[in-house]
Amino acid sequence: MSERSVTKQKQGKRWYTIFAPEQFDRAEIGSTIAEEPNQVIGRTIETTLGDINNDAGANNTKLTFKITDVGSDSAYTEFIKHELTRDYLRSLVRRGASKAAATITVVTTDDYRVKLQPVAFTTKKADNSQEHAIRRVMIDLVKEAAEERSFEELGDSVIEGRLSSAIYGEAKTIYPLRRVEIQKFELEARPEELAEEEATAVDVDEEDVADDVADD
Amino acid sequence: MSESQEDKWGIAHVFSSFNNTLITITDLTGAETIVKSSGGTVVKQNRDEASPYAAMQMAETVAEEVKAAGIAGLHVRVRGPGGNGNKSPGPGAQATIRALARAGIEIGRIEDVTPIPHDGTRAPKNKRV
Repeated sequence: MSERSVTKQKQGKRWYTIFAPEQFDRAEIGSTIAEEPNQVIGRTIETTLGDINNDAGANNTKLTFKITDVGSDSAYTEFIKHELTRDYLRSLVRRGASKAAATITVVTTDDYRVKLQPVAFTTKKADNSQEHAIRRVMIDLVKEAAEERSFEELGDSVIEGRLSSAIYGEAKTIYPLRRVEIQKFELEARPEELAEEEATAVDVDEEDVADDVADD
Repeated sequence: MSESQEDKWGIAHVFSSFNNTLITITDLTGAETIVKSSGGTVVKQNRDEASPYAAMQMAETVAEEVKAAGIAGLHVRVRGPGGNGNKSPGPGAQATIRALARAGIEIGRIEDVTPIPHDGTRAPKNKRV
């Protein structure tokens, strides 16, 4: 039953080889099958950092790429997401220790809006105030990093762990830390989308806001 | 880069609950399905759909079609029901992976992709006997 349908479907379909963006040396990530080249655009592919760099030790990082451009039998991608695997994050959580996580949305120098989620694990139970202070440091450092970096540079510093070690260096004076990671780095809006949002945004007077609240 | 090379990879999505096992093989992007199968295709009784035996039978037939499609290896994504239900994959998950490997398919990364709520709806109340 299904045998026939598969062969039928396969006629006229072509394989496209998917390449990573320049940032990752245009490494080959995999292949996808489609009838029309247009169907390939917008597909996402997930690999690990170890697969791209041929480094088996770095398999706790997942990278997601989105296909933006298609050639005759190749597809080109952009980097949209960096994420740590669930089992790795779970392995860092210990009993009797604290975890301080933050979600920060920043705009880079080249007008990309990205979401970052740093997370810090302490050696022992930290006070609430200490967790707050660690979170403060994270937010400040991430904002600072975004102000002087482009999307690509910020991505590199997240993937290579420079940003997390910077947070580690600052925050360990507050409370002894075991590990700091960026658990997620995600592209939210491209420059064009950001510009469009700005253009369509409506200015709200302060008086109007106050009136609305009063009505309720 | 041509099809003769036969070193293409795919993803095996394995959904395994206590009532059934679903196997879907796709390409690396997950956009194109190559083969799919579920417990009902190999057993008659509903209660056997989730059994490891059914999973093995499914994996064997699926493996053949995968090879016919020119795919040599599979990354595996297992998931249980998740949500406010059971978080761990059912009995068919492990059997599927084993049977795929036995059928001569290279197994790459195995990942658990059970949906975990960051606080969603209320969990069902306890079953009383």
